This record gives sequence, C-alpha cells and structure tokens, in this order.
Amino acid sequence: MSALLSVEGLTVDLAVPAGTLHAVRDVSFEVARGETLCVVGESGCGKSMTALALMGLLPRNARRRARRLVFDGVDLAAASPARTNALRGAKLSMIFQEPMTALNPAYTIGNQLCEVYRRHKGGSRAAARERAAFLLGKVGIAAAGERLGQYPHQLSGGLRQRVMIAMALMCGPSLIVADEPTTALDVTIQAQILKLLKDLQAEFGMALVLITHDLGVVARIADRVAVMYAGEVVERGTAAQVFAAPRHPYTAGLIDCIPVPGRTKPGERLGAIPGTVPALVGTIEGCAFRQRCAFAQPACASAPPVHADAGHEWACVRGAA
Amino acid sequence: MSALMQVEGVHRAFSVSRGLFARKRTLHAVNGIDLEIEKGEVLGIVGESGCGKSTLARILLGLIPASAGRIALSGTDLRGLDRRVLAARVQPVFQDPYGSLNPRKRIASIVALPLAVHGMGDRTEQRRRAIEMLERVGLPARLADNYPGQLSGGQRQRVAIARALVMRPEIVICDEPTSALDVSVQSQILNLLMDLRQEFGLTYVFISHNLAVVEHIATRVAVMYLGRVVELAPAAEIFARPRHPYTQALLASVLTPEPGKGLPDTHLGLAFPDPLDPPPGCGFNPRCAYARAVCRERVPAFSEDGPAKAACHAYDPTFGKEFA
Repeated sequence: MSALLSVEGLTVDLAVPAGTLHAVRDVSFEVARGETLCVVGESGCGKSMTALALMGLLPRNARRRARRLVFDGVDLAAASPARTNALRGAKLSMIFQEPMTALNPAYTIGNQLCEVYRRHKGGSRAAARERAAFLLGKVGIAAAGERLGQYPHQLSGGLRQRVMIAMALMCGPSLIVADEPTTALDVTIQAQILKLLKDLQAEFGMALVLITHDLGVVARIADRVAVMYAGEVVERGTAAQVFAAPRHPYTAGLIDCIPVPGRTKPGERLGAIPGTVPALVGTIEGCAFRQRCAFAQPACASAPPVHADAGHEWACVRGAA
Repeated sequence: MSALMQVEGVHRAFSVSRGLFARKRTLHAVNGIDLEIEKGEVLGIVGESGCGKSTLARILLGLIPASAGRIALSGTDLRGLDRRVLAARVQPVFQDPYGSLNPRKRIASIVALPLAVHGMGDRTEQRRRAIEMLERVGLPARLADNYPGQLSGGQRQRVAIARALVMRPEIVICDEPTSALDVSVQSQILNLLMDLRQEFGLTYVFISHNLAVVEHIATRVAVMYLGRVVELAPAAEIFARPRHPYTQALLASVLTPEPGKGLPDTHLGLAFPDPLDPPPGCGFNPRCAYARAVCRERVPAFSEDGPAKAACHAYDPTFGKEFA
C-alpha cells in the first residue's frame, strides 16, 4: 500500500539578517494510513518548521523545497495556495501547542468549531453545530451544548486542548499534525490528552504526526520515530528499534540524559551531551553532531552514510554494532 | 535535631479580580502548610500548576509575606530578620533564565551584585569572586563581560546558579530550575546542582512538576495539591509506595521512555481543580476514584503510615474503615 504522506528531500531555508538559516535540511519520511509518526528533537532542530512546511504555514521569510511532497495523491509541492487551503483543515489538520493562542478569544467555541466545518463542507449551521456537539462529546467534554456557547478563556488548559482536538476532527481528516500538543499542560492532563488522541485515532483511523521534545511521550505513543538534530533526520525506525537499540550517538545520548524512575539511580550523575547545538546559518558540512560526539573521527567531516537494518536507519559513519 | 527552616501553619491569600464589576475573590494559594527543612537535605516539592508551590517558594525566600503562620530560619522568625541577612542565607534559582537576569548588565556584574549589596570587598575583589564562581559552575571566564542575551538557556541558568551561590548561602530554593531547558541541558544542570550540593554542603528546596527529575535529585518529597501538602515522605518511599491517590495518579502519569508500555489510565476524570473555588472537604475529591461521603465533608488531616504522611481519609484510623 502506498503511503498517505510521502516526504523526500524536504528543505526549509529562512532568510535571517545573518544570512540563510537552514532550518530543515533534506528531510525524508513516510506516514502510512492510521499510523503515528513522532518527530523528536530539541529546540532549534527544525521539528516545528517541518510541521509547518507540511501544512503550508511557513513564515514569510521561509522557502520550502522538496523532491517529493505528496499527501493522499496530491502533490503539495506543486499545489496552488487555493488547493492547499482546501486540504488544510479538511483532510489535513493541525493541533498547536498553546490552545489559548490558537483559539480566537473573541469567538465562542461553537462558532470556531462550526466555521471549519461550514467552510469545507458547507451545509446548514444546525448540521455543523450537531457535528461540533458530537465531537465535543467524543473528546470527553460533558454538557457539550452549553460549552459551545462559551469563550476560550472560560475553559481550563486541558479543556481548551480538547476543543482544539475536536476542531481538528471536524472534517474527518486523514492526517493530523500535532506540534507539542501537551507541552503546556500539567502531567496528569498530558497523560489524559495523549490517551484521548490515541483512542480517537483508533476510532477514526487517522494518521498522526506528533512533534515533541519529550522522549517519554514518543515511547508511549509512536509507531515509528524520526529523531532530528540540526535540521536533519539522524535516525528513524520503529519505537521499539530506536529505544531498545539507538544507533546514532545523538539518540543514545538523549536517552541517557533523562532520569527514569526505577532505572536511573537517584543521586547519580545523568548522562550529558557536552557542548551546544551548532549554528545553522551558512554552510554546514559533514555530520552536524561531530563536535559533541564521543565517537567522532576524521571521516565525520564529510556527509555521513546512511545505514539501514530492517527498516531502522541512521546517518553515522558507524555502521551496525 | 532542629530544622534549618521551620514552616508552621503558613497561609497566603491573594485578592483576585475577575473583571471590572465582579466582586473580588480570595484565592488561597497556600492554605496551611507545615514543613521542616533539615540541613543538607533536598526537599522536593511537586505539584501541578496552581497548587501553590511557587507561592510557597516566594514566601520561603521572604519575597512575599505569609498571611498567617510562622517561618523560622534556625529558630529566628523571618519577620524579625533583616532582608539582607535572610538573602545571605537563602537564595533562589528561578525557572526562566531569560526573565531572571537583567539584560542590560554584564554577566560578571550580575553575579557580583549580591556581594555589592552586602558590601563585601571592593570592586576588584567582587569581580574576582564572581569569576571564580562562574568558572565553578562551568562557564569560562571569557564570558564574564558578555550580556545575558549572548548566552544560551543553559548558560544563563548557570549564571543564575552562580549568582545564587556567590554569597555561600545555606539554602537554595530552586523553582523549576530545568523546566525551560532542553533535556540534554537539563541533565547538565541537574548534575551541576548535585555536585555543588556536595561541594558547598547546600540544602535545596527543589520545586518541580516533573516527578522523574524530583525522584532523581530529592531526598524527601512533599506533594502539593490546591495549596496544601497532601503527602510527605522520603523520596525512595514515595516512589516505591505512593499513599495519596493524587500522588498515585501523578506517578502513573510519568511517561518513561519505555515503548510498549502504552499510555496510562489515570482514572482522574475531567474535574479540573479551580483554586478560586476549591471543593469542600478534601480538595482532590472531585477527581478521586476512591472518594467517599466523608471526603466531601471534611478536610483530611495528616495520617502517618510507616515513614510517610498522607492527608487522606483512607489512612485515617477513624475513617479508614470506610475505604476497605
């Protein structure tokens, strides 16, 4: 079966005062129908820019290029703005990190939910409200009819994120891109929201691209994982492959950095990755991680080869273990 | 053994406006807290947003007064203590390394400021000590004349730590010190805090919403919910056997990087706590799967259970039977 979303050689360049910032560099991945892909990395690795590039929502100073960017048979790279607009919100929807800024404070929840639906599907206001109330019920909000008349500030952060999810579901999308959907929420609420997303995904059969910095979230929700560093995907594979046997030194280092109750010993030193992320302005040569890597060798100064083992791929001079 | 810092029945209320014409409401951010901070320990305080943990931090630092109750530092009431004496002994590290450093001052003068305030040494001496401390926290001396804007988040947090330690305080109150940082930087800062504690014999109050981080660094943990401490226990104990249903839910919500484990079911429901309108009885009762009638009527007192204390009726000798 062909992939729902196929990305090959995606590049995003930003024009900044200092020159050209290479935010996303030659990124490739595929998402099958109904599957969850997590894109994980630290701040500045290009994960959010990748999400925005998929949605066609990049800032004005950005330039997107791709050898192939196909969603559900539509070539997004060549699609007109009108064609992209027709897809966005309908077949392809997005959930943002901060539901307070993503929702319009001046309109009621009901208004905003119905707008998406009527814009893409037309139909009567009553039909849209019925759909909105149905989905608010699905995301676990009781007394949906009453909530439709409320404004975003009248809801807690957790409820607002549920409304965002309902909004993303309004037109029955086949892919949802969620950029750090639970980062602004409390831990207990985060667990609830992720579970809700996973349940809805199973019920409606959508694919999910989840962008996050949190390896714990990735491990618990992903089918497949793409690890990004300095604008590139440095490792990808199934969640089991990446967590059980990380092959790229950056992935392994990142996993060692997090304290895990029951695994890391309290009070002992945690793993650390020395140094900082390189600047992505100007030309970048070779492996971008080599200055921080304990295994760096002269060969790292040129572009690292990509190794593959049963669908597990990593870009590093070091091959199979 | 007498405690380094004693917190007795501390309350803090704020008057909150809910609009131009609406009546002002009272928010009980901290609602009766008793704690003892022992010398050399790391007291972890965990809780979610709005539970009052940051308000408690500011009260301990003497930045805001308590509305009621008493805080004593080595037996002396904070109210009778000079601001500067307190600041020399208790220092903060805040969450946001972007907001807590003056963007118009150079790094060395930021770190030397506490010395200047206390009139310790001349300018050259202050600068020398500031640079010494910067190097100790892992910042090269060449950054001394940079501005905070030229530093990364992790480097700024190191500056904040150097400023806190330059006066050689006894207690450092860390309020979410790593929450704004990337994971690889977070581990560097946690390692640094653990090293410094050893080297300077520090006592930490470590406030965080991240239970995994608290488990790693704390020796004792207080769990807060809606202005109250609901569980207090040695760190190993709280993670091995959480007593309070809220602690249990919090622990279940920690997403460890273990694929195949799936997502936990917290059994918490949707009743999000509103600090302005706390429920009667136990603050947690609307979200608690075990709530009984008594939980909606009475505020639970601390019950001891082994080395732990939990404010839950299920552990109360009088009401515990109802939960069997």
